[in-house]
Amino acid sequence: MFVPGFTVWYNVKSIERTLAFYTEKLGFEVLFHNPEWGMAMVKTNTEGCVIGFSEAETVEPSTSSTVFDVENIDDAVSKLKRLDVSFSGEIEVIDDFVKLATFADPDGHSLMLSEQLTQL
Amino acid sequence: MSKEQFVLQLAQQLSGRWTIPILLSLESSGGRFTPLQRQLDIAPARLSDNLKQLSDAELIHHLTPLERRHPLLPEYKLTEKGKLYREAAQAIRSSEAQIGHGTLSAKAWNMPVLVALNYQHGRFQEIRRVLQPVTPRILSARLDELHVEELIVKQIADQPRPSFLYELSSLSERPITVLTADLSSLA
Repeated sequence: MFVPGFTVWYNVKSIERTLAFYTEKLGFEVLFHNPEWGMAMVKTNTEGCVIGFSEAETVEPSTSSTVFDVENIDDAVSKLKRLDVSFSGEIEVIDDFVKLATFADPDGHSLMLSEQLTQL
Repeated sequence: MSKEQFVLQLAQQLSGRWTIPILLSLESSGGRFTPLQRQLDIAPARLSDNLKQLSDAELIHHLTPLERRHPLLPEYKLTEKGKLYREAAQAIRSSEAQIGHGTLSAKAWNMPVLVALNYQHGRFQEIRRVLQPVTPRILSARLDELHVEELIVKQIADQPRPSFLYELSSLSERPITVLTADLSSLA
């Protein structure tokens, strides 16, 4: 039924500000950008996994997190902090399962880094 | 409400710089704020204000973030009343095109004055009465402007006492008659 491919969509206040964050800070690549329509998509480093953005007059920050896997969460957090990404709280550890760090994009949409502590 | 009152109110509610452009462009911009703002080349704050007014008048529905299932889906939709007003807006646009004196409806009371004249309300006090709540100052300014534009003619009537009598000019009579019939058909 399903084919490989996964997209997360967000309402955002400014496409330009959002793209700057996702490309310059997170390092993703713009897949598509239409300024007239206030929409864009970025490619994550996982094949077929894309994030879409569409400008809206009213934006409610999403509390459901998109979680990006990283190899070493301490390194990743330090790297993003140097780029002025602000994290909420410290790195949280779910014993023998995962380490998590929560940050937000410019519209306050919740994002997370995760380092797997066990092979699923 | 009589058909005449309905038509005059419709013409008045569709006055203003942005009302008609928004109603006509809402669907072609996917009902989304950014495309609409770019299409109309309007300041965002002004567009927000206008959308709020149209929402309050129940011509459009502002969907909450929870009602929108996807960020690319409309933020605003025309209500049934809004669809009716869009037809009226098209009729006004077509009338303006025939008259050829620009977007007359962008200024409040232009179209209602012309339509009132089409209903044979020719005297100042009579026009003022059917176009309540227009102020005498605004009405007088509009009548003067429309006269300068040669869209209305001004005559002096002797009876019952000397006063001005306003009528549609040969330039505006036909388009405004058609417009009045079009708006009336929406009642």
